[in-house]
Amino acid sequence: MTNTPSPTADRLTNQFSESVTQLKPLLVIIGNGMATGRLLDEIIKRTPNKYQITVIGKEHFGSYNRIMLSAVLAGDATIDSIMQKPPAWYKEHSINFLSGSLVTYIDKKTKVVELASSAQINYDELIIATGSRTAEIPAKNQDVEGIFNFRDIADTQKIQAFAKQEGSSSKQAIVIGGGLLGLEAAYGLAISGVEVTLVHRNKWLLNRQLDKVSGNMLQSIMAQKKIKFALGHEVASFENTIESNAERKVKSLSGVTLTNGEFISAQMAVIATGITPNKKLAEIANIDFNRAILVNDYMQTSDASISALGECCEHNRATFGLVDPIWGQCITLAERLCNNVKKPFQNAPVPTKLKVSGVQLFSAGDVEVSEGSQCFTLLDKKALIYRKIIVKNGKISGIVLFGDVSSGMAYFELMRQQITVNTMMPELLIGDEFVTTIENEQKVSAA
Amino acid sequence: MTDIIFTDKQSPASVSSQTTSKTNCPYCGVGCGIEATVENNKVIAVKGNAEHPANLGRLCVKGSSLHETQGFHNRILSPRVYGKNVSWDEATSTVAKHFQDTIAQYGPDSVAFYLSGQLLTEDYYVANKLMKGFIGSANVDTNSRLCMASASAAHKRAFGEDVVAGCYEDLTSADAIFIIGANPAYAHPIVYQRMIKAREENPTRKIVVIDPRKTATAKDADLYLAIKPGSDAYFYNGLLLYLAEQGKLNNDYIAKHCQGFEQALQTAQSQFADIAAVATACDIELSLLLESYQIFAETDNVVTFFSQGINQSSTGVDKGNAIINCHLATGKIGREGAGAFSITGQPNAMGGREVGGLSNQLAAHLYFENSNEIDLVKRFWQAPNIATKEGLKAVELFDAVHSGKIKAIWIMATNPVVSMPNANRIKRALEKCPMVVVSECYENTDTVNYADVVLPASTWGEKQGSVTNSDRTISVHKSMIKAPGEAKNDWQIITDVAHALGFKDAFNYQHPVDIFREHAALSGFENSHPFSYKRDENDVYRVFDISALANISQAEYENFSPIKWPINSANPKGLKRIFTDGIFATKNQKANFIPIIAQLPRKLPGNNQVVMNSGRIRDQWHTMTRTGRVAKLMTHSDEPYIAVNPDDAKRFQLEDKQLAVLSNLGAEFIGRVNITTEQRNGEIFVPIHWNDNFSASARVSALVNPISDYICGQPEFKHSPVNIKPFNSVWSGYLISSQAVNCQTNYWSKIQLEQGHKYLLSDQQELGDDESILANLYPTIDDWLVLKDDQQNVLRIAGFIDNKLHCFFAASTNLDLEFNTRFIEEQLNKTHPIKTRFKLMSGLDSDGKNDVGTMICSCFQIGEKTIKETIESGQCKSVEALGEKLKCGTNCGSCIPELKAFFT
Repeated sequence: MTNTPSPTADRLTNQFSESVTQLKPLLVIIGNGMATGRLLDEIIKRTPNKYQITVIGKEHFGSYNRIMLSAVLAGDATIDSIMQKPPAWYKEHSINFLSGSLVTYIDKKTKVVELASSAQINYDELIIATGSRTAEIPAKNQDVEGIFNFRDIADTQKIQAFAKQEGSSSKQAIVIGGGLLGLEAAYGLAISGVEVTLVHRNKWLLNRQLDKVSGNMLQSIMAQKKIKFALGHEVASFENTIESNAERKVKSLSGVTLTNGEFISAQMAVIATGITPNKKLAEIANIDFNRAILVNDYMQTSDASISALGECCEHNRATFGLVDPIWGQCITLAERLCNNVKKPFQNAPVPTKLKVSGVQLFSAGDVEVSEGSQCFTLLDKKALIYRKIIVKNGKISGIVLFGDVSSGMAYFELMRQQITVNTMMPELLIGDEFVTTIENEQKVSAA
Repeated sequence: MTDIIFTDKQSPASVSSQTTSKTNCPYCGVGCGIEATVENNKVIAVKGNAEHPANLGRLCVKGSSLHETQGFHNRILSPRVYGKNVSWDEATSTVAKHFQDTIAQYGPDSVAFYLSGQLLTEDYYVANKLMKGFIGSANVDTNSRLCMASASAAHKRAFGEDVVAGCYEDLTSADAIFIIGANPAYAHPIVYQRMIKAREENPTRKIVVIDPRKTATAKDADLYLAIKPGSDAYFYNGLLLYLAEQGKLNNDYIAKHCQGFEQALQTAQSQFADIAAVATACDIELSLLLESYQIFAETDNVVTFFSQGINQSSTGVDKGNAIINCHLATGKIGREGAGAFSITGQPNAMGGREVGGLSNQLAAHLYFENSNEIDLVKRFWQAPNIATKEGLKAVELFDAVHSGKIKAIWIMATNPVVSMPNANRIKRALEKCPMVVVSECYENTDTVNYADVVLPASTWGEKQGSVTNSDRTISVHKSMIKAPGEAKNDWQIITDVAHALGFKDAFNYQHPVDIFREHAALSGFENSHPFSYKRDENDVYRVFDISALANISQAEYENFSPIKWPINSANPKGLKRIFTDGIFATKNQKANFIPIIAQLPRKLPGNNQVVMNSGRIRDQWHTMTRTGRVAKLMTHSDEPYIAVNPDDAKRFQLEDKQLAVLSNLGAEFIGRVNITTEQRNGEIFVPIHWNDNFSASARVSALVNPISDYICGQPEFKHSPVNIKPFNSVWSGYLISSQAVNCQTNYWSKIQLEQGHKYLLSDQQELGDDESILANLYPTIDDWLVLKDDQQNVLRIAGFIDNKLHCFFAASTNLDLEFNTRFIEEQLNKTHPIKTRFKLMSGLDSDGKNDVGTMICSCFQIGEKTIKETIESGQCKSVEALGEKLKCGTNCGSCIPELKAFFT
């Protein structure tokens, strides 16, 4: 990279001077993921003209719904259809949008960010929303061709390209990670006709959200899509063949060896084992961080002019992977920036609501029983419906719904508000509408 | 004219149209007239016959649901010998040969018939004639022995003949009714409603109820006396004493029409120093006793209405006479609104007595004591082999079966394995007996299971014949539909066997009217003197005389208008009341006072025992073979229960709504504890209806000591000392099932539903935690839905076949947990969408309107909760208003006492 400002940067500088003349404060947002998309909405809703906004995105796209990448992979959606804010949108809202750009440095003193292109951008308020990346796994021999992450459009396109490859007789893929992302990757690949084996460290799938019964039910549903499972093991090492082409030797994936010694043949592996917050800019800029960039209740980092948002931030020891709390962060931040109102962010527990392979799931709180708790379950093996509520000290401490998630939010409210539910059990487990029935009856008999 | 050939599948045009017939209810002794609508060989609707004098158009809940007992499900369709279906010829000849061989080898007294108050008079007549006139034994007894023998004997002792002098109209014209040992609100709802209505019309009329239990009848009484069980004769002896002390005797009547008064009074006086001693003996407050005596003494028109509480006793005959003594002593008898009125339990208990169906009777109110009577019958029947001595009474008869003296028994239309005292001994007796023939219409009754030969009988609606109700009204049951399979009428079955025994000429009946005419002729045979005729030693005079009907045409018979006997030349239109002129059926035409030494039941409870009383509940009949099939009749009381006083509950550590076990004679009764102050301390009540078909251990009779009245042999069903203890369930629950299943739990009770069955379960074994606990009962089901917790507080399991709900199980180790199955019952056999069927596990309709509470009005299915809500909403302030709003209580009225309780 050279230090010569790019033409784009020049143009930007010109625009900045315009802004300055209008005395609009400069708001710079690093990262263009879903958090940024939502934050922009919140800001525009409040004060569309208060800031001159610049968004710097790594990817060559506008803002899209990352959650829908699984659907894209499964062929249920296209990149176009998941695009929420195409570049034109930014223009319409007078937002400077730098796509395909990487920020390399933040100078807190001068309030400048520097791009990989060496272009420098001033800010009055800076927001770091750099998100996260795929967590690394301890497997050996990771530098082979055919190992992908599943984080962004590029990853998705690479995986799709593999799946659609003509010629090779059998296409085999390993998906590592039995969390939501792994399951979606496995599902998407299987739908495309790839022979998928899902490798997961735990004994059952979605072990943070599901118990053994529901995890196994999910597995049986996924198995119907011809997905194979290697549960309770990790990948010890990736195996490869070496092919030489004109330019260089290519190490191509041939399979994986699991910690139990089993070898699974595959030409592709997707690593979907979890996420690691992208906090590198904070490290560079000497902003306080721990696992992620530390923020206070108002999303401010240790530098008052710099905020952080989304999967890259850490609030009260919590990091974030689900959209619900991040929407809350967006509101807190927008309130402060736009209205100068200090509305503290509260990281309320959120339920996990998922749809995997066409199956609805809902999970919140404890998944497994603990000492002194009472566990209610409802199982319909044929309909593949499972519902579970764990009650501790008379209050809901955990919810797992599989196949039918009705009443999930009602349970969640009861759990959040710590309402005593003993007398509502087990009818509550079947549906909160039955509890109204019970209460009505109690009213009648009490009268 | 071409014959119509009936087959199961065919429904010829001529039967597809609706027809209406006037017939009679087959249940209790009230004998209500019914109009039945028939379509396609099925009774599809019933309503009360407004012209019938017994009910004037009303019907109780059991009668109103008669058409719901229709359908040939569970009927016996073919004769069976040792479990194999055979032809009628083979069955008949098997029975005849066994009886013949047994008689040849061991004599006529080695065989017996055991009949039923539910047989029609013609059936009864033929059976009685065959045994007493042609086989030559009087071993014919009937379940009326368990019901009416005491009253029958008391009548005979007092009046010279078994005659109920009054009629139902007396119950509405009496100014005071003493109801003792009867719960007509439940057992005879229609006459009860008549009494209540009369009191409403004239509130000065008094109803006095004397009963150890505070029954539904007692709750509605103007005066209620909770006397010590079995102290009824003390009460009436005391009354005699009181009448004498207070100068309330009708000395003129006593002198003119009675004999033996002085001795009767002295006997009563010898037992008590004063009325206070009577109060002590009856365990009742003196003031209450005096109040009731005063009502009797100062009211001209008094009826004493009595039933099983008097009859089912070791001194039942004495009790009956103690009552009659008081009516004779005051002349409160033989006139409108006065008398001692015995009401029968069964529709034809009186008809059975009229043909002489009890073993101590010969025929047609003729007995063995007088050789003239035997001779008369012998000549009339041209009997080659007339019995000359009394046969064995029910308890003795089954003892003789047990001991092997009786080697062949033919049981018709009754279920002694359920109904007899020490019923387990009856099982053993039948097991030992070389030949047990059972004529029955339903499969798998507890008794059919012990039969060597099973003969399929027709039943109500199919058979034709006459019955006599409690007030001497003869009515004719109509044949409206064709019996299923090869089922035959009882009189035909008996006639066939008589023919096979070689008595063709004497049993040459083609139609029940042939039998009826013969029966009528016998009643008038050498009995043609007018009522007031001075009789001499050799006259065999009977009040029971229906000789005016001896030449009745078939058409008249088939369109028979109800009529009260006697029906003879002097009374061609029958007679409402008998003994109106003070002339009785004794030799000297005077009524007998019988000196009574009042006695308590023979067996008194030990220290740790309670006294078990037994009786009917409102909506069931006998052993439930018919009423147990009607879902709505199960909604009022749906399982065997034990009513217990709170003090006893404490003493025996019983909890309300939990199960308890009664034991006696090595038999057990498991029932649901109902703690109530309606029971006296030390006394419990259990319903008689349940049996092995409906519950794990609920045959009350198995716990009843075989102690009988010393005169008439009627067993003491109302007073059995038993042990009682908690059942100690580990878990309890419900099973709603499309199919009947053989529950293996220590306790179960079956309830018929509209679709399928409901079982109430309790077990002393561990509760499982998944569907495997039902796998044995439903081996074909592999589609299960399970709701549970991990502490066995909740376990609900639904089983599906082809997405139809086939069974539903709900259980808990928390015994207080209640689960309302009403919604689930309605969902049985329905297809449920697979994605939402889990909602069934709530047992609730999502709008929550499924639970109407305990059923109060069975006719309109109105539950406690609905009634309470309606009252609380201020919409209804009286029973009448409730009736207008919800219809409850407006049909049979038997729930009115319960409805009234909501307003007090």
